[in-house]
Amino acid sequence: MSTPKGDSFVVVYATIVCLICSLLLATAASALKKPQEYNVEIDRKINVLKAFGVPITDAKGKRIKGPEVNKYFADHISEITIDGATGQEVTAAASAKQPLSLYLWKDDGVVTKYAFPVSGKGLWSTIYGYLALEGDLSTIAGITFYRHGETPGLGGEVEADWFQNGFKGKKVFADGKRTKFEVVKGRLADKYPEGNNHAVDGISGATLTGNGLNRFINADLDKYETYFKLHRGT
Amino acid sequence: MALKAKTVFTDPLSNNNPITIQILGICSSLAVTTQVDKAFVMSVGLTLVTAFSNLVISMMRNQIPSKIRIIVELAVVSTLVIVTDQILRAYVYDISRQMSVFVGLIITNCIVMGRLEAFALQNPPGLSFLDGLGNGLGYSAILMIVGSIREILGKGSWWGIHFLPENYLGNGLMVLAPGAFFCLGLIIWLQRQLTKKFETA
Repeated sequence: MSTPKGDSFVVVYATIVCLICSLLLATAASALKKPQEYNVEIDRKINVLKAFGVPITDAKGKRIKGPEVNKYFADHISEITIDGATGQEVTAAASAKQPLSLYLWKDDGVVTKYAFPVSGKGLWSTIYGYLALEGDLSTIAGITFYRHGETPGLGGEVEADWFQNGFKGKKVFADGKRTKFEVVKGRLADKYPEGNNHAVDGISGATLTGNGLNRFINADLDKYETYFKLHRGT
Repeated sequence: MALKAKTVFTDPLSNNNPITIQILGICSSLAVTTQVDKAFVMSVGLTLVTAFSNLVISMMRNQIPSKIRIIVELAVVSTLVIVTDQILRAYVYDISRQMSVFVGLIITNCIVMGRLEAFALQNPPGLSFLDGLGNGLGYSAILMIVGSIREILGKGSWWGIHFLPENYLGNGLMVLAPGAFFCLGLIIWLQRQLTKKFETA
């Protein structure tokens, strides 16, 4: 600021500042990539565990750590890819017409639960989650939504335990056919006074988010139906 | 010189505290003080960003063309903030997920730009660094106080450790933003009573 400077100096100065800044950012981003990817991976796995109904917090209320998460995965979970078109398991995603990923929860080698990713548009954003089904492939074992951009306090409540807990034990398949799953507008008891085993309470103020959930949960369930049909006991 | 350095560093801790006296950085101090650990991470982030951006801008102060002064300042600040955000994401992922938006908003935190404009552009790097550090710590002190009050009254815990009896229900108001508003208001009042510094009409 001591001496007046011409426009060319300003341009050169700005260019140099930008170059140095971007160099720094690129260095930081690439140096920290590994631990970041590890964190994202663990977070994804934790959400699969949560859908399966594994307690993801320890006695003190802290989230379980990476090694423990990986232990659960090694002991109980196998990740497979299936072809949605044929319902068969495939070894490589490229060989399938409609590759879908599926997590199997095994107790002593027997598959007791299934989980798969669900995602779709809510009101403002794409909502990502996992849905787990019991071994009968008809009953919901748990659901979790882990990433979304819905309004906090309204649509953002999809992340809340009270909402996700409502899904447990609901039916997606009954009397030999796929039943449409429903997040109702308002309260379940108002719409179905006699009770209903394939619907849950909506979130007040977030009807459109609920409609979004209805659409993509059912669409994703339908995608896996070919596979589920082959593996459903009855 | 030594005396000046001392006042530059200690003034913002109390007599010229950025939050309670200058009323800057209110937004983030309302948002990230529901729990002490979040407040702590935010404090460390902001202190480092303020100190280092002060240092860098002060070193550049004689060359920066005044026409693009603010833009250069922003470029430096946002680089530092993004690096901070990347580090948080790599090492304290859970906390960074809860407060990602507010880390990004350090860029717009008035304290950072305020110190650059008011101090770093006129003073040598060493003093500017101290000034940034002092202001950051002054901000941190208030954040930790508000965070402690809110977490203890709102959840009965401190740094995630429960110590009040289990049947303590927690004050819902303290968990929400208005709780922070009341806390902050009381702290500002207390501080101004003690330092006798008032804005006169």
